[in-house]
Amino acid sequence: MLEHESDLIVSEGTIYPLLSRLKALGLVESEWVESEGGHPRKYYSITEAGRQRATKMAAIWARFSSSMSRLLAPLVEVK
Amino acid sequence: MSDAEQKIDAYLNDVRGRLRGLGEEQSREIIAELRSHIVERASADGSVTNESVDAGLMAMGSAKQLASEYVTDELLARAEAQRSPFHLLDSLFGWASISVAGFFVTITSLIGYFLGAVFVLVAMLKPLHPADAGLWALRDNTGDLELSVRLGFGSPPTNGHELLGWWIVPLGLLIGCGLVVFTTRFALWCVRIYRRSRLLPGRS
Repeated sequence: MLEHESDLIVSEGTIYPLLSRLKALGLVESEWVESEGGHPRKYYSITEAGRQRATKMAAIWARFSSSMSRLLAPLVEVK
Repeated sequence: MSDAEQKIDAYLNDVRGRLRGLGEEQSREIIAELRSHIVERASADGSVTNESVDAGLMAMGSAKQLASEYVTDELLARAEAQRSPFHLLDSLFGWASISVAGFFVTITSLIGYFLGAVFVLVAMLKPLHPADAGLWALRDNTGDLELSVRLGFGSPPTNGHELLGWWIVPLGLLIGCGLVVFTTRFALWCVRIYRRSRLLPGRS
């Protein structure tokens, strides 16, 4: 989804250590589910604490990003 | 077992062998999760083939890099939970061996603890070597003054004078203990900041 909906590229090997860090901080939780194909799958879901943290970080980012956009506006070509 | 499965096993065994310092349960969980991802990715087009496994393993990156991410996390988590300087240093040495940041934090902490220990030691040795132990102002060969903490072993220097007298006992204890506490806080602060920075992807 990251790659489909944005230009961000995160290597697959980076994702699992990251998820395990988020889990250690209680921001996500995980559960093993037996799939139809026979392979168990691990599902992650965001916790309440995770949601709060994400909301807070999104607000900080939005503020920072709009300041930067204002500052850089004269340099960005208007098409 | 097919070639493709053997490849996956070899990769995961490599990762597992490098997960030093992690508990059995934790290692098993990590390997199971990685296996589930690799198998699922490799079988996305129907069957697991040699080529799809190769592509999947390539995307995961080297076993060494992947394992070191988990090992670093574990070391930092353990360091952050420490309160005693000895245990903290023990964890810091592990961090120093795998990261430049860890190396610098460890060196700085070692210097802090060493200076702290010297001040406490001189305060404790003052009663045993009253004439010599303490903070001295010494004149070196070029005539410049330099400060020297002397523990009182060997003969008293002739080219200088002692500065604090018996005040070195309370001051040494205070400064020494202060340095140890400050160094511990500093190291824990560094560990916390570094750990937070690892919550964002994109670092190499």
